[in-house]
Amino acid sequence: MDFSVVSPQNLSQLRNAIRTLQRKPYRIGAGYTDLLMELRKSDTSDLTVINLAQINDNGLSHIKSLVNHVHIGAMVTATSICMNDDIARRFPTLQQAAANLASTQIRNVATIGGNLCTASPSGDMACAIVALKAHCVLMNVDGKKRVVPVVDFFTGPRTTCLKKNEFLYKIILPRNHKQTQHIHSGFIKVGTRNAMECSVVSLAYHIQVEESGYVIDAGIGIGASAPTIRFAEKAALNLIGKNMQNFTDENRNEFAKKVLTYASPISDVRATSWYRKEVLYNISKSVLV
Amino acid sequence: MEVSFNLNGEKVKCKINPTISLLELLREEMGLTGTKPGCNEGECGACTVLIDGISVNACLYPAINIHGKELVTIEGLVTAEGKLDEVQQAMVKHGAVQCGFCTSGMVMNIKAMQRNLEHAHHVPGENIRVQPDRKNIMKWLEGNLCRCTGYVKIIDAAEEVLNKNKI
Amino acid sequence: MAKKNLKIIGTPVPKHDAKIRVTGEAVYGHDIKLPGMLYGAILRTEHPHATFTIDVSAAKKLPGVICVITADDVDTNNISYKRDHPILKKEEVNCIRDEIAAVAAETKEIAEKALKLIKVKYKIKKGIYEPLDALKSGAPLINKFSSGKFEHKNIAEKFYYEHGNIEEQRKKSMVVVKRTFTLPRMTHACLGTSNITAHYNKTTGKLLLYSSTQVPFLYQRDMAHALKMNPSDIRIIQPVIGGGFGSKLDMYPFEPICALLSIKTGRPVQILYSRHEEFLASPTRQPMTIEIEAGADKDGNFTFRDVNVIKDNGAYTSWGATTPFVIMQAFSSLYTLPACRFSATAIYTNNVFAGSFRGYGNPQATFALERVIDLLADKLGMDKAQIRIKNANRPGETTGQGLFFETCGHQDCLQTVIKKAGKKRKSENNRYRRGMGYASMIHVGGGAKIYRSDGCGTTIKIDPYGYCTIISGSNEIGQGSETVLAMIAAEELGISLDKIKVINTDTDIKPWDVGVHASRTSFVAGNSLLGAIRILKEKLNLKAGELLQEKSTSFNYEDGFIKTKSKQIALDKVVREMHFTLPNELAIASYFYEPSSQFQDKGFKGNVSGTYAFASQAIEVEVDTYTGNVRVLTVHVAQDVGKVLNPLLLDGQIHGGVLQGVGYALTEELIFKEGYLLNPNFHNYKLLTAADTPDIHFYPVETHDKQGPYGAKGVGEAPLIPTAAAIANAVCDALQIEMLELPITPERVLVALKNKNNK
Repeated sequence: MDFSVVSPQNLSQLRNAIRTLQRKPYRIGAGYTDLLMELRKSDTSDLTVINLAQINDNGLSHIKSLVNHVHIGAMVTATSICMNDDIARRFPTLQQAAANLASTQIRNVATIGGNLCTASPSGDMACAIVALKAHCVLMNVDGKKRVVPVVDFFTGPRTTCLKKNEFLYKIILPRNHKQTQHIHSGFIKVGTRNAMECSVVSLAYHIQVEESGYVIDAGIGIGASAPTIRFAEKAALNLIGKNMQNFTDENRNEFAKKVLTYASPISDVRATSWYRKEVLYNISKSVLV
Repeated sequence: MEVSFNLNGEKVKCKINPTISLLELLREEMGLTGTKPGCNEGECGACTVLIDGISVNACLYPAINIHGKELVTIEGLVTAEGKLDEVQQAMVKHGAVQCGFCTSGMVMNIKAMQRNLEHAHHVPGENIRVQPDRKNIMKWLEGNLCRCTGYVKIIDAAEEVLNKNKI
Repeated sequence: MAKKNLKIIGTPVPKHDAKIRVTGEAVYGHDIKLPGMLYGAILRTEHPHATFTIDVSAAKKLPGVICVITADDVDTNNISYKRDHPILKKEEVNCIRDEIAAVAAETKEIAEKALKLIKVKYKIKKGIYEPLDALKSGAPLINKFSSGKFEHKNIAEKFYYEHGNIEEQRKKSMVVVKRTFTLPRMTHACLGTSNITAHYNKTTGKLLLYSSTQVPFLYQRDMAHALKMNPSDIRIIQPVIGGGFGSKLDMYPFEPICALLSIKTGRPVQILYSRHEEFLASPTRQPMTIEIEAGADKDGNFTFRDVNVIKDNGAYTSWGATTPFVIMQAFSSLYTLPACRFSATAIYTNNVFAGSFRGYGNPQATFALERVIDLLADKLGMDKAQIRIKNANRPGETTGQGLFFETCGHQDCLQTVIKKAGKKRKSENNRYRRGMGYASMIHVGGGAKIYRSDGCGTTIKIDPYGYCTIISGSNEIGQGSETVLAMIAAEELGISLDKIKVINTDTDIKPWDVGVHASRTSFVAGNSLLGAIRILKEKLNLKAGELLQEKSTSFNYEDGFIKTKSKQIALDKVVREMHFTLPNELAIASYFYEPSSQFQDKGFKGNVSGTYAFASQAIEVEVDTYTGNVRVLTVHVAQDVGKVLNPLLLDGQIHGGVLQGVGYALTEELIFKEGYLLNPNFHNYKLLTAADTPDIHFYPVETHDKQGPYGAKGVGEAPLIPTAAAIANAVCDALQIEMLELPITPERVLVALKNKNNK
């Protein structure tokens, strides 16, 4: 490998680095769990890697719990997300997605920003972030911020809406509603083994329920089922106003069918399209216990 | 470029090619071959080392980022008098070692779990401590592949060490 | 004869060499760095079947490249036991592993770069990827070195065996079941990838190889044949080996290639496989289809088995082709059987070839056989446990194939696991279904006489300080053979374990042994060591008798002393007296042990092993009908080990074997499409993790076989042999489905469920 590396120490150096590379190929390195493998397989002679690991910036590397939002810096690792009390209590889908990502060693370095920017259709944290209806804060070389809903962040398999002069700065999770008494939130990951899996199918759900048991808000994300992670909007809307306690088999089937309308999976070495749909349908049903 | 860091308790400085991994730095530049190359893709954990107390796959860690950090490798666990670390002792005692190629990484990751227990940082808002029960140990070690032992004895060894100070 | 009141044998002694393995000090092939060493790399074909032209001129010009070789640059013999495998391929490639050029360079990076500069033009040809297609008329000759001794030139190997009268037994049968099973390519996936360091000395003409081979003496001979050298000019040193499991039982092209690069350059050269290369180019478990028809009479007695096996031989032949030796044993002799007919054909294709892998065909055979036993029981309306107990082998039995079971724990094993496992727990709800499955196995437990000798040599010496050195022909691949040997010496000579050293890695030093395979090492090397100790003790006894002025030659060896009831003398003192006083003799002895087993006749009949191991497993699973995931809940293992030598190491063999068996059953498969490998990484070739380990309960059954050291039998392969079969039976029990292939992936489970519901 013969790429060159720049290691900005703060945000303004990072912006400068990106600015100077506008006409050249560059990649951004955060946790390197995907990037290093990719670089080993490709010709890197003209490439510059902008190394984020040495930047000292709270916005980029901290989780900040605010009144109406939780801010998660793009450099926050999966381990930090797993271990965060606020996230574990209020956004279990994200905590579970982070906890079931690859392995301890990978979680210790893999970042949420990397998981989003890789834009893999099977990204686990990204799937949960979609279900949570989060927003991405992008920053350009002039320090100008742009906020996009996370569903719009993904434009295709392994492509995002990031422009060449932008980088992902942080993710903003909206707080659960004040009326929410109970959250039914989780992450279902289907693979062959109990660990070290890349999702064959995944489903993130975050359902907010008020005191009387009625659903007041719902978010459903599906992974490894389409060219990008999808927000299953119709399925989510379908739940609103229903009572969590009285779901019938008919409700479950209807919900699962709606989820499935967002799926257009491929067949690959891990599973066929048929299997992915079949399982997505089944696990969707299981969400409404 | 030059990096300086703390390696197994000693300050070191070295000139490196910025594209190499920490695994290459250790094995090829520094001659520390105890850290094993099992897959070079972050899937097997044989190259696990501790960076600032947490376990990391050296094969996917750019050597440049070790600058300013504290690195512990398998070579750093034995005392100057040649006494094995308690994790190593438990691995020997429980028969947790067969071919041994995964062992360095296993030991280091168990060490990381021990550090996690001992250091329960109490950072506000963070729940760092992982209870050392069998299920959590199995999950903690999920990224360390072993082809010989079926993991049972390794989990036994970890369980003993991690519960040593429990009443 | 070994002693009776045991102090060391049977105790959980930690591994002799564990300390250097937990500290990272053990030197594996990957860690060797010799002065002036070059790095070798191999260029493999991009296509499974093609003709090609090659131009290496640009690679040769790259600074730092010392040597580039193609088939045109070397004068070698073909390798493999069939001698049908050219080391470097010329003009035509026949499978995706094919080596077409190699380089040696100053650094790994330069070597890799040089490979990219080699220009190859391929003309892709249509390959044959289904064995039976290779037998169709008009099929091209796949391997031009094919022996041609069978009815079709694309047949690499054939086996035929029978005993009893099939037709008579068929008539006696109340039920007959016929099925065809398909078994996948599993790979060893040793954590340490394949490696070799070769150092040829131009002045002396001697070649030194640091190799992870499991069979150093056969390897030395094969290497010499390949390179047209004298075997004794080749010295093989085994560094610490990062996993074997049978993968290193044959010599593969990368090894003579590395030697050739060293011979050409006169410098040490190292080749180290990447993980990708390991998946692509190291051998696999033999894939096959097994067609089996089997019967049972009205009382559930097994009547006959008629079996036909078709094996995909790949483009060249390795040990996978000979797995029928073991496969037929399972069909002829597991459970008492009046009649058996067995045929197996290995057919060349443009796929990769298979080698030996722990179990050597037996997991495949046992899967087919034990599935069919469940189906027979179903048809008869018999209990699946009872039908097995009824037919289980018994001590004193000589099977139709001529295997003689002086001891046999089959009944005990079955009854133990059936009792311990109990009834399956009730399924909690409709989504998760529980199932229980049983399976047994038979395997050689006292070596296997397939080579001219199944022996092992040992030299033992005691030095003037009372330390003991065992020089054994056997090999350590992590299983703990060094420890068992040290324990035997400690037991017999009363020397503490820390004063015992085992030397076993150098062909220039160690006496001959056929290799580490067939679960033979503790049995054969153990007996060999006991023989050497017996001779050594005769010498020591004489001297001790003289020094103690004792007429008796019956002494106890304890705590570093040679003792009678009333007198004792330190062992080291006796040795010093031997060395330094007339008639000045060394305390050293050698012994070559050859098991009492026989060669099989042309019909494959004969008592091929010194003893036989039996095992049964009862496995409970839970299947998620939503996803098809199978979770193995508990595994109960009972195994006739003869005698437990070291419970700690024995447990390790059981646990590790079982988990490999679970992988074979559920997750592991190299996936090929038209000759191309689709999953050459740990990401998609799914080795099980710590989080997948089930509860494993092990019950050793001790039958004290007088052939074995202290009564012990071989144990290494058995634990994985019945696992996949028992899991398949459990899954079928849980869902009332049929499972005709492995691995039982979630998708295959859902397909089977769908098919069942559509019926």
